[in-house]
Amino acid sequence: MKLSPSLSKLIDALRALPGVGPKTAQRMAFHLLQDGRTGARALAEALTQALESVGRCKRCRMLTEGELCSICSSPQRDATLLCVVESPADVLAVELSGSYRGHYFVLMGHLSPLDGIGPEQLGVRELEAILAEGQVREVILATNPTVEGEATAHFLGELATRRGVRASRIAHGVPMGGELEYVDGGTLAHALAGRHAIS
Amino acid sequence: MIRNPRRIQLAPGYILHHRPYRDTSRILEVLTRDHGRLSLFARGVRGPKSKLAPVLQPFRLLLLSWSGRGEAPQLTGAELAGDPTPLPSASLMAGFYLNELILKLTTRHDPSPAAFDAYHAALESLKAHAGLEPTLRIFEKRLLEALGYGLDLTSETRTGRRIDPEAHYHYRPSQGLFLTVADAPGALSGRSLLALANEELGDERELEDSKRLLQSVLAEVLEGRELATRAVARAIARRESRT
Repeated sequence: MKLSPSLSKLIDALRALPGVGPKTAQRMAFHLLQDGRTGARALAEALTQALESVGRCKRCRMLTEGELCSICSSPQRDATLLCVVESPADVLAVELSGSYRGHYFVLMGHLSPLDGIGPEQLGVRELEAILAEGQVREVILATNPTVEGEATAHFLGELATRRGVRASRIAHGVPMGGELEYVDGGTLAHALAGRHAIS
Repeated sequence: MIRNPRRIQLAPGYILHHRPYRDTSRILEVLTRDHGRLSLFARGVRGPKSKLAPVLQPFRLLLLSWSGRGEAPQLTGAELAGDPTPLPSASLMAGFYLNELILKLTTRHDPSPAAFDAYHAALESLKAHAGLEPTLRIFEKRLLEALGYGLDLTSETRTGRRIDPEAHYHYRPSQGLFLTVADAPGALSGRSLLALANEELGDERELEDSKRLLQSVLAEVLEGRELATRAVARAIARRESRT
């Protein structure tokens, strides 16, 4: 059976979502048009509105409405600390930890030399501008513990150090509640290298 | 007739590059000692519960298992082989450069144990904090040799005479080394050529000459293709020179 053009278009559009294949897209489309019409309208409106009003924070590149995000514009946050992360989702993850009160900078990726992704694509100019203001005392490099994330942290660490700003790297090692027996060798090696004295 | 899918168990190899595929999988580009360079489809290795995610990192010697034929056989297992020492952060860019040379210069499914050994030795020496430049030059030389682009670094092309450490030579693309005068532009010292041949690069001049020679040979072999890692390294150096 041939579906109506609008319906096929909707199914195709839903496949833009992560984890949604043709079958799931079809189920979603039917649901939205059958029982979920109110929800569907709300979804359409929310999507249009978000697309129009959500942009990037001028300072940290986090997704936000307006010029500055709520963190960059808050006087309660510690402006001497800057946490550099790869994606907006990482900002939320660090925020949820509840243990950080400083500012952020979102790279929107990591160095990937083999794909030709270098410093310019990661907003390094903007980051340099923030460091040049002289307020930041410490840059916390919270890129992912992958080789690309490590290369990014190394490059940014040098960049900060040359400007007289302290650079630190988040620790990585054994997860909470984990068992050493099941931790892979590479992670354990990192955990051992990053051990600290019990005081 | 049912064809048995090909199963390979615990083949020593390195991940050169990876790209995400769908939401939870990756396509890996790997270099193995005995099966050459190939793509592997690694299903479900990006999820939070994936046990393989921490193992599947470049610059570490792995034992890889896969099954199937065709464009991208499926990865069925991977474990760390031996020493899990990570590549020092300062050497990561050099590591990416090694990977790109392997990716651009080798052909898929054409095993070259010598190229694999050269790559393995280069990583080991970077992990041991050996000199960066000599390590890269020796890798380039060995890789070119392994792939059949080797240079005769011990004799002059026209006369066949042995390279004289006190003389100077000029490299002509796809021909070889020719005697020249010391102050000719681009002249390479005989001492440098012999040092490269013996893989014992010591002083500044030897390193510089070797770099110049190898870069022109590589440029020939790459047939005008740009190296992305070199462009990124230049961009990084530009940012560094601004401070």
